[in-house]
Amino acid sequence: MQDHTTEQELRDRLSLIESMIAEGRRHTESWGWTFVLWGFSYYIAIAWSTWGHSAWAWPTTVLISIIVTIIVASVKASHHPGTTLGRAIGSIWISLGISMSLLFLALGLSGRLTDQHLFMAVISALLGMVNGASGLLLRWKVQFACAVVWWVTAAATCFGTDSQSTIVFLAAIFICQIAFGIYGMTAEVYERRRRVQLNA
Amino acid sequence: MPDLPELNPVVHGRLRLALLSLLSGVEEAEFTWLRSKTEATDGNLGAQLLKLEEAGYVVVKKKFVLRKPQTLYRITTTGRQALTAYVQALKQLLGHAIDT
Repeated sequence: MQDHTTEQELRDRLSLIESMIAEGRRHTESWGWTFVLWGFSYYIAIAWSTWGHSAWAWPTTVLISIIVTIIVASVKASHHPGTTLGRAIGSIWISLGISMSLLFLALGLSGRLTDQHLFMAVISALLGMVNGASGLLLRWKVQFACAVVWWVTAAATCFGTDSQSTIVFLAAIFICQIAFGIYGMTAEVYERRRRVQLNA
Repeated sequence: MPDLPELNPVVHGRLRLALLSLLSGVEEAEFTWLRSKTEATDGNLGAQLLKLEEAGYVVVKKKFVLRKPQTLYRITTTGRQALTAYVQALKQLLGHAIDT
């Protein structure tokens, strides 16, 4: 076969392999919306439990958010191929969801979820862990910076008055969930436009 | 002069090579995703995927997601080995072309 194959054709084939492998590995999932969704969910749950004095505030809000996340994610992900990296990151976040749901449900049912500082510190530490792991896997400094904010929040919420620790926690939610989520969504739109321009 | 390697004709086809390369970077991919990346027609894409399947280089899985049928393709170990061997042969041929 190679008798009829020119050097240019061989180079073309090599370049095709490189470009297709890069295309396949390109991060195609878009997850910015989940950060925004969960950021607002935390705000709703906090507001509802503070002013509504309802024990159902957190379980209801979290359950609705989980259902919305699963439905939207399965619709969005069904058209994108799975990668090993995507599965690694996804498994970390799914494990976080299970851990937090079980822990806080058990603490709530046993009546031991009485320390507001501890509640916020545990949530912050867990979110710091998953954001840190995701940031390191993706080599994404912005997400790792969010992890640092969560870790600082975990330590800070152990001190000060109830109001002070709540303000710190609310600020961390805004920075690491809502602002970071909007930043992620903007970056995804920019990346899509750049790809369209490159392919044009 | 060393013997020049043969290029695997199943892998060498432009669209088949693109498909194997795409599938080597992901765990599995849907037919529509492969179509959008290769910009091939449904008929041509289906025919080339069938050739790769017959060669044992890809496996196909059909399932339903939200009541919609989905056809997923995954590269096999044999397919990955064939692609690696093809790249090595290509590099050897290119090295020979540069030397002469």
